[in-house]
Amino acid sequence: MSGALTIEHLSAGYGQVAVLDDVSLHVGDGDLVVILGSNGAGKTTTMRAISGVIPRTGAITFNGQRIDKLSPDAIVRAGIAQVPQGRGTFPELSVLDNLRAGAYTRRDGEVAKDIDHWFEVFPRLGERSDQRAGSLSGGEQQMVAISRALMSRPKLLLCDEPSLGLAPLVTQEVMTVIARLNQETGLSVLLVEQNANLAMDVARTVYLLETGRIVASGTPTEIAGNDAIRQAYLGY
Amino acid sequence: MDFPSFAQLLQYIFDGLSVGAIYSLLALGLVVVYRGTGHLNFAQGEMATLCTYGVWELHDRGLPLIVALVVGAAIGFGLGAAVETTLIRPVAKKSPFAVIIVTIGLFLGINSLTNGVWGPPPEEAMPSLFPNKPDDFASIFGATWRYERIGVLLVCLALGAGLLQLFKRTRFGLAMRAVASNPESSRLVGISTSHVLMASWGIAAALGAISGTLVAGVNTSVTPGMMFSIFVYASAAATLGGLDSVGGALIAGLSIGVVENLAANIFPDWIGQSMRLAVALVIILVVLLFKPSGLFGSSKVERV
Repeated sequence: MSGALTIEHLSAGYGQVAVLDDVSLHVGDGDLVVILGSNGAGKTTTMRAISGVIPRTGAITFNGQRIDKLSPDAIVRAGIAQVPQGRGTFPELSVLDNLRAGAYTRRDGEVAKDIDHWFEVFPRLGERSDQRAGSLSGGEQQMVAISRALMSRPKLLLCDEPSLGLAPLVTQEVMTVIARLNQETGLSVLLVEQNANLAMDVARTVYLLETGRIVASGTPTEIAGNDAIRQAYLGY
Repeated sequence: MDFPSFAQLLQYIFDGLSVGAIYSLLALGLVVVYRGTGHLNFAQGEMATLCTYGVWELHDRGLPLIVALVVGAAIGFGLGAAVETTLIRPVAKKSPFAVIIVTIGLFLGINSLTNGVWGPPPEEAMPSLFPNKPDDFASIFGATWRYERIGVLLVCLALGAGLLQLFKRTRFGLAMRAVASNPESSRLVGISTSHVLMASWGIAAALGAISGTLVAGVNTSVTPGMMFSIFVYASAAATLGGLDSVGGALIAGLSIGVVENLAANIFPDWIGQSMRLAVALVIILVVLLFKPSGLFGSSKVERV
């Protein structure tokens, strides 16, 4: 199974308001791709459109299969999991139940084994497995959201601004976790960020999203080599 | 006011528990719907009455009462699910206020339906699920507790315990709690929120069918308005228990039954039978003023 995602001519929005206009991009199997954009560029809308929770038009192909007409649960089953913006944990549920909910689409008998595995990877979650997720710190909640997403055994992980509202050191830690998952397990990652410096460190390919359109793409080096882009997004 | 004897006091408590069990059952239905959607279903009592007429019709055509009840609860489940998908969901997208109006409309609509179809005499006589001959009672310290009343209490406790297990231990219960906690994230982990909401309304209506049949059994007949005051008590119980807590609704329903029964019997002159309902309204008011999240409700506290 491949974690390759191809998006062609994707448009999406909310009611009469169009947010995305003809977006095309590609995430190779095992790739780590970053979409860089400022507030309101359409980053979250892109993620929600891929996960199928808002109406969208265009072709989205994952693992050789068209997924743009599928329901959100079918998309999870196809192998795409999302870490939503602002973490989006189930605050009233225990950490353990958050992870169980992540495995909702699975019918195999290895859910408990996977929970043990992620509690080993994130020992702080294991120690707090009975606590309500909402009582954890922002960084810990981000780890809950990431391990919850991984509980569905995805081939592609969508991360919606994991740095939002986190202290710089914690953000660094979260980015390291995501990069390691990508390198060590071959998980494809599509990450959207407005913190360019952070994203450039981990990305293999970068797309620039401005008011709903992709305006540039390339390797981090190529993007950083473009003076206009560097000034606008990296601030130097 | 004469202070009651121990036996009398015990009698009031027994009677209160049995009547409170009925409030609890209807309150559980309110809680199941509220947890899923945040809506208070004003038609919960009338939907229960409608289902009870269904049970009566089935029993009248020769089905044993217990079988008629199971079928009636299943029909109730279908009715609840259908109401959610066809009436509530399309309106909820537009405005939460409109949902209240729709459930009030349902209340009035079902009430006139049952009045129109079954209202005029002869009365629809309903037998009891439990032994209720004149000498079917237990004597405990001079107080009598009729088997039928004990049966009602046991059914309520069993259903409450079952519901708690459903929420805590099952995959579907996890989905219900997840949807109540964060609908958007529920969809992102692959939970079909529409199925969960449909089933919540279904479960609530099935609970209504059971509580309605118990009420009719105690009253010995089904009547169109039989759930009205019970619904008021049930809303008081759900509010007191915290609206989203199964255990809370259960305990609150039983407590309200006991308190109003004690109040009505200990102060027969100034509360008595005619002012019993006021006790429930005072409870709702006091809870909303001093502890809006109820005694057992989860306050939405989140660290960010």
